[in-house]
Amino acid sequence: MTARIAYALAMLVLASSSLAAPAGAAIARQTGALPRGGSYVLYPDPTVGTAAIGLWFRAPAAGFDDATPGIADLAATAAAVAPLASGKSLYALVHTVGGELNIEVYPDIVGIGAVVPAYASRRIVAAMTAAYFAPSVDDAAVKTARANAAVLGVQQRYESDTTLHDLLFKQIFATGPAHYPPLPTSVSQLTSITTAQVDAFAKRAFRAQNSVLALTGNVDASSISAVTDGNGPGAMDTPYDSTLEGSPASTTAAGAVDGVGLAWIGPPIADQKAATALDFIADYLFREQTGVVSRVLDRADSDALVVGQFITLHDPGVMVVTIGGSNEKQTEKSVLAALEALQQPMDAPAFNAAREAFLYHVATDTQTPQQRADNLGWYSTEGNLDYAPGIASGAYEQSARALDPQYVAEIVRRYLHNPVIVDLVATTPQKEPSR
Amino acid sequence: MRFLLASCLAAALATALPTAARAASVSIPVPTVENAGGTVIVRQSDGAASLVGVTLIVRAGLDRQTMRQNGMAALVAETIVRTPINGVALEDAVAARGGSIRFTIDPGDVRFYVEALAEDAPAVLELFRAALAAPDFSAVTIRDARGVLVRQIAQVQQVALQVGIDMLNAASSRQANAGLPELGTPASLAQFFAEDARSFYRAYYRRGGAVVSAAGRLDSLAPQALAALAGALPAGTTSPVAVRVPQLNGATHEIVAHRDIASPWLIAQYPAPNVNSRDFGPMLVLASFVRRTLSDIAQVPGVVSPTFASRSVGTVYAYDRAPATLVLYVNGGLIGNPSRAFATALSVVSVLAASRLQGSIDEFKAEAAGDFANDANTLETRTWLAAVFSTGSASPDFINRALAAISATTPEDLQRVARSYLGNPTIALVLPRGTNLQD
Repeated sequence: MTARIAYALAMLVLASSSLAAPAGAAIARQTGALPRGGSYVLYPDPTVGTAAIGLWFRAPAAGFDDATPGIADLAATAAAVAPLASGKSLYALVHTVGGELNIEVYPDIVGIGAVVPAYASRRIVAAMTAAYFAPSVDDAAVKTARANAAVLGVQQRYESDTTLHDLLFKQIFATGPAHYPPLPTSVSQLTSITTAQVDAFAKRAFRAQNSVLALTGNVDASSISAVTDGNGPGAMDTPYDSTLEGSPASTTAAGAVDGVGLAWIGPPIADQKAATALDFIADYLFREQTGVVSRVLDRADSDALVVGQFITLHDPGVMVVTIGGSNEKQTEKSVLAALEALQQPMDAPAFNAAREAFLYHVATDTQTPQQRADNLGWYSTEGNLDYAPGIASGAYEQSARALDPQYVAEIVRRYLHNPVIVDLVATTPQKEPSR
Repeated sequence: MRFLLASCLAAALATALPTAARAASVSIPVPTVENAGGTVIVRQSDGAASLVGVTLIVRAGLDRQTMRQNGMAALVAETIVRTPINGVALEDAVAARGGSIRFTIDPGDVRFYVEALAEDAPAVLELFRAALAAPDFSAVTIRDARGVLVRQIAQVQQVALQVGIDMLNAASSRQANAGLPELGTPASLAQFFAEDARSFYRAYYRRGGAVVSAAGRLDSLAPQALAALAGALPAGTTSPVAVRVPQLNGATHEIVAHRDIASPWLIAQYPAPNVNSRDFGPMLVLASFVRRTLSDIAQVPGVVSPTFASRSVGTVYAYDRAPATLVLYVNGGLIGNPSRAFATALSVVSVLAASRLQGSIDEFKAEAAGDFANDANTLETRTWLAAVFSTGSASPDFINRALAAISATTPEDLQRVARSYLGNPTIALVLPRGTNLQD
């Protein structure tokens, strides 16, 4: 037993002892090292019936040389469907226990998430870390991954939000993984990536040292002992940041659906106060049903759909607003007018109410095990775990409570001017899927 | 090498045991239940939560309406949500204090759900209590409430699955009024005056039979806060308005509606057991089986990640509704031959009633258990499920009751339940305007 493993076991004992707290008492987040490389963050909730298990990596979606867009998606999916020693893949095993598996690939990070009944959590921790820390990717797995990517790619063409997001990032970032869509639009790009390339990428990207294991819900620290793979001590990769375009230009692009996208370059994740202010602005203006812009559209019975969010990234973050449905250009004017109004400080009562509503929205959006695991994984790999939203009295909540009208107006003036705009124009007749 | 070998052995061992052989329960604190002057109070304390969620159930749902009062239950509930507190509508006042409030109209109940940050919860509950005790039935507030409902009705009419389920509920309700649309119709709402709403409130908003179910950081509330919420209502109990309609004859019924949608939807509804029935667990498993069968028949594309297409077929077991139902649906716009897939699925269900399933049902049981547990993660669903499961003095331990019922299910149970419930479906077809059945 190495000193590192002994230390890890000691930490497990300490962590386990703190879980005896009564259900009514506040529960603390715990962090530590995995037995064979990597780290974990544990935020238990013993009052729910499920556990969420997230395994997150820093990995460039377009490959380590930015030459193979889509390779991270193929590698993440192939590792999930490749048979483990038992003969069953992680994907099959999760479904066998009645759970759900989600694979999330972003330009700079990859997240694998499973939500399972609590009694199956140890099995899934074991299988997930085996599937990724010791990936065994073969032709059959890559074939399945390609088919999955192709289906998702077709679907994505009809999602103006995702399409615009990718196009905006392409305009903003000159080089680096964020310049490329995580899922290429061309099938030929997917088929040109070989099994050997996927396997090599998986072995390099999905190292234990490059991972964070997020455990939430009805799970305790003993599940960490189910991690049976790993490559030993080592450091996580440095963040895969992208280089900004000097003078990003607006553009028009052809697509399957109409839409308008706007983007502004924001602060890095390290600037917690500014990042939180931009989250607040997105919530205040664009949150479904309650946002100022959303409510105006609702009252006008508009078919326009506005999605606004600040995407917290290592450096820099990006504010993105996408407009789909109908009357996009008119809605764009409403969005810009609402932002212009926010250049002046809000009056104190309105601001206080909006900030309290924002705090509530953050809490209600981070209440399930999966939501918590996703947040902890994302913020860990982007480089600021302590700032993850949803931790009671954590850094995020403190940043939100410290906001004031003057500061928010200053942030609007500093960041939210001269957006990069992408007009997405449908080249074929549109058909909306029924809900 | 040693680590790798160890991991292989561990993974092999972990997957070798059949699912059914493992624990079919989870260790979670059981909700507590008490009776406070005719009101049932259910508590689930959760120290990991930042919020408090409270569901208040009042016996003032659809079955308290006459047929001419279609939409009255919703209008009264919306009036409460729009009632000004210090000049600000309750909904907005709650939002400004860091919370939210909404309601659902059920066949027998209206259920309000209030959620707030733990530190704001006492003030938010007090706002709700004040509006509940003295709703503002002024013409202005009634007009506002009606306007909100009319907009919501318009939105619902664009959701084909909901349109179909509403029609099927209307057809399957034992009481005609309990099958009325939850929000009424724009035409029916336009008939109501303030005095009509006030009369309904006075008649049916009573604390007898009410349930207050709370979850989250309950340590932030005063001990009597939950009882005080129901205490805003006068004592007494109420009874449904009896409106019986003759049963339709025939084995299978079809209902057709046209809406502004892009593609046809095919929806079948069967009667189903409630949570206190011994058939509850088997029906959960059966719902999983039918869902999987429907996906297989429809050859839904989708390999690993969920897609629009993989969500285009499915089942809904509404065990929390009275009467409970099982619905299966196909979105005709996203799969190749929806009519054939739908017809084949109905045939499979019929065959299931006549013959015992061969092979293991463990996978369907696991899927049913996972779906149930995963659907019970938000404070809102936890408060609601605890309330539903605590009816009739039964245990409110919804998770473990459901898991145990699923675990105990045998293939013979599936056949019995299929035979008991899945004989005569009522079918709804929701079609795009300008199309007909032959299309």
